[in-house]
Amino acid sequence: MSVAETIEIPERTRWQRISGVSTLWIGVVLVLLYAGFSIWKPNAFPTRFTLQTLLIETSVLLVLSIGMTFVIITSGIDLSVGMVLIFAGVVGSKTMEWLSPGGDASHAGWGIIAIGLVVSIAGGGLWGLINGVLVARAKIPPLIVTLGSFGAALGAAQLITGGVDTRTVPDNLRNSLGFGTLLGGVPDLVVVALVVTLFGAWLLHTTRFGRYTYAIGSNAEAARRSGIGVTRHLILVYLMTGLLAGLAGFMNLAYFGTTTIAGHGTDNLDAIAGVVIGGTSLFGGAGTVVGTVIGVFIPSVLRKGFVIAGVPVFWQPIAVSIVLVAAVWFDQARRKARDRK
Amino acid sequence: MAVRPAGPERRQLTQKVRAEMRTVNRAAVIVGVVVTAAAVLAGCGGKVGSSGSINTKNLVLIPGVANEPFYISMQCGAQDEAKKLGYSLNTQAPTQFDASLQTPIVTGVIATKPGAILIAPTHATAMAAPIKQAKDAGIKIIEVDTALDDQSIALSSISSDNVKGGQLAAQTLAKLVGDKGSMLVINTKAGTSTTDQRAQGFADELKNHPGMSSLGVQYNNNDAATAASIVTATLSAHPDLAGIFATNLSSAEGAATGLRDAGKLGQVKIVGFDASPQQVQDLKSGVIQALIAQDPATIGVDGVDQAAAALTGKPVTRHIQTDMVSMTQADMDANSKYFYKSKC
Amino acid sequence: MPSAVLEAEGLTKRYGGVEALRGANFQVFAGEVVALIGDNGAGKSTLVKCLSGAEQPDGGRILLDGQVVRMTSPIEARRLGVETVYQDLAVAPDLDPAANLFLGRELFRHGIAGRLGMLDRKAMKSQAAEHFARLGVVLPRADVPIGTLSGGQRQTVAVARSVMWASKVVFMDEPTAALGVVQRERVLDVIRRVRDQGIAVVLISHNMPEVLSVADRIEVLRLGKRVARLASDATLEQLVGAMTGALNTEDDAA
Repeated sequence: MSVAETIEIPERTRWQRISGVSTLWIGVVLVLLYAGFSIWKPNAFPTRFTLQTLLIETSVLLVLSIGMTFVIITSGIDLSVGMVLIFAGVVGSKTMEWLSPGGDASHAGWGIIAIGLVVSIAGGGLWGLINGVLVARAKIPPLIVTLGSFGAALGAAQLITGGVDTRTVPDNLRNSLGFGTLLGGVPDLVVVALVVTLFGAWLLHTTRFGRYTYAIGSNAEAARRSGIGVTRHLILVYLMTGLLAGLAGFMNLAYFGTTTIAGHGTDNLDAIAGVVIGGTSLFGGAGTVVGTVIGVFIPSVLRKGFVIAGVPVFWQPIAVSIVLVAAVWFDQARRKARDRK
Repeated sequence: MAVRPAGPERRQLTQKVRAEMRTVNRAAVIVGVVVTAAAVLAGCGGKVGSSGSINTKNLVLIPGVANEPFYISMQCGAQDEAKKLGYSLNTQAPTQFDASLQTPIVTGVIATKPGAILIAPTHATAMAAPIKQAKDAGIKIIEVDTALDDQSIALSSISSDNVKGGQLAAQTLAKLVGDKGSMLVINTKAGTSTTDQRAQGFADELKNHPGMSSLGVQYNNNDAATAASIVTATLSAHPDLAGIFATNLSSAEGAATGLRDAGKLGQVKIVGFDASPQQVQDLKSGVIQALIAQDPATIGVDGVDQAAAALTGKPVTRHIQTDMVSMTQADMDANSKYFYKSKC
Repeated sequence: MPSAVLEAEGLTKRYGGVEALRGANFQVFAGEVVALIGDNGAGKSTLVKCLSGAEQPDGGRILLDGQVVRMTSPIEARRLGVETVYQDLAVAPDLDPAANLFLGRELFRHGIAGRLGMLDRKAMKSQAAEHFARLGVVLPRADVPIGTLSGGQRQTVAVARSVMWASKVVFMDEPTAALGVVQRERVLDVIRRVRDQGIAVVLISHNMPEVLSVADRIEVLRLGKRVARLASDATLEQLVGAMTGALNTEDDAA
């Protein structure tokens, strides 16, 4: 007869929960990269200007990647984010132009800008909802569904604009969200990305919504048997990603002053790479927001460092790919150790 | 028979190991955070970037996209001229013709503070802000090939006369099709100044040829495969298609593929733009009937010359238009100096 | 005689042309482990599915505490106090044991934090520790993903979860099938503790020695009907005989 022992289950500190060992290693990689480039080009790399542009240029991708983190943790994927971003920017800017006298939104006031923001986010949410329903209810694999919405969202954007980028974006928007700064030099774009990141971290690591995300990615059947509404939850996760892509589209609009329909073709892969480098497993069930942040910045720092150091452009995708593969390999090794019987 | 769990000693050891690992993890995280903060603060401590030494002997060329023979020829011309004048020229190209990819390159190059940037903006309005940042940092801006809508930023803009090129294409095509039939224009990405001007020039000249009609402009998003499917689709809808004007390299390559798939190669006449090695080959073998070649090498040379003029305080020419030449299979060898290179 | 907690009377179930249950009876009482055995195709899983809400019988009655019930889904069955522990380890490998214990029934923090959905991890951890202690579940580490623990440890957590929420009946479908000898004993220990809490445990197993070691009673199913009820002192020959049809101690009438 076994003796009853009192087992105290030690509470891991919030830091440990949030960080975890693999996150530490990629954090070290990021620091080493930053330090390495600073030593290589001390006059150009470790400057405030470079840091600012690095943060600004990664903000939009970071917002996309927060949503992508949730999706990948549920062992899904969302390939449509770049095109949903474009679609959201298009509907937002078209709305603002439509509400402005003469179709010229350059001098639009804050009311119109607010409406544009709502329309952008809603536009993104629409695609997120479509993705979620098709994945969760119709049970079509996320790869296929989001590949479809990738094309459909772009097609819709091109239909609406005739393939021509918007020419007028409110100056107020460009000067505030696009180029404005807060608190003595922190760009508004970065502030928005930071708020989204903090919200994402709070949602994923402290709420029941976050836990259900992990549970469904870890074992959807067990989650279902426990009474968790898996279908509803998945729809919400994809919806959230769509809403964030909508916000990203509006941020993109503010920064570039136009819709850039021809671009963003590789945003989806960049976001996935960032999330995976950050330690989130493509098989679902594991991942952190801190990891995603680090994972998104590693390719950014690599690219910027290469440009500043004058390394030929073809080395950059090779370097990023090496880091990506190394991250997945490390995750596989970790899983193997974990799944020992 | 119940199995005894681990004895008290072993349990204590496990707990101790657990506690140690917690401490190590915690310490490692703190160290990581501290080091990162230090690196970031070191960055913050630096200057904003506008003052500080600009190296007036450094030039940087930022083409529209990597790997395109047009831009590579431009790079070769620019590099030779830079060497001749005693400047060093570095080239950084985005992997795709995309403003969100070209922007980080521009800001990265600003950090290295060259004397001048020769740039082909990938978007006439979206690239205005980052390029203006370069100008505000004291770097001279020379536009090569494409241009911004905002004329106040660059000191000089050098490109082919793309409108004239489009007209030349229409005239050439008219000769090839015997001045009658429907014409299709395959353009690349909407909003690109250069190709839009070519399409415009073509449409204008077409009005002078009453026997020829226009099927409008289709966009292939700079993807050859898309151009191919546009051509096959148009052939199904309009069997009287007689001529195609392809406004750039990917359009021409794709159009030729599309015609080949439909078995209409040689019957529908293609006039392509740009003389990449593949297109020169196609011209030689009769896949395309004519090419309008630009002179990217001269654009590169002129770009460097204007940059040097700006840096040494000499007068700068605001607009320079370089030659365009039309060549067919018959006269191509005479025009071989206009062929684009795939490496210098 | 105390009434059964869960009772099946004359259940019939048909899948297309196959009659899986032909008037099957079953009883389980509080505070006992009943083993339900039978050869392949005897109808064990169908019977269990009907009694746990995963399937609905075509005919017959199910009584819970003497009242006729219709359990339209496993969630509905759970609400009535009938839980199932499945053979395929139905835990989420990336979550820790406490998280698995509370899966679907998490505790929220108090006040506005709770209303926003924030979880009270400390409370869940301490309650989990109590529950594990009560059932004799021993884990080397409890703050790691449950996937890093052995199969036996995972299964003990799954068993513990099934009784966490005031259940009346717990079905255990081949709970030790995938485990080694030592781990099996651990799981059986926990099952005994569960029984000691007064819960009715139904064990489905192909492992005769295990059945004889942990069951208080044994009910044998053959060709969709109950053919024998044996006590824990039954012999292996009796069990096998009942399963193969050599032994039949039940009336044909229900």
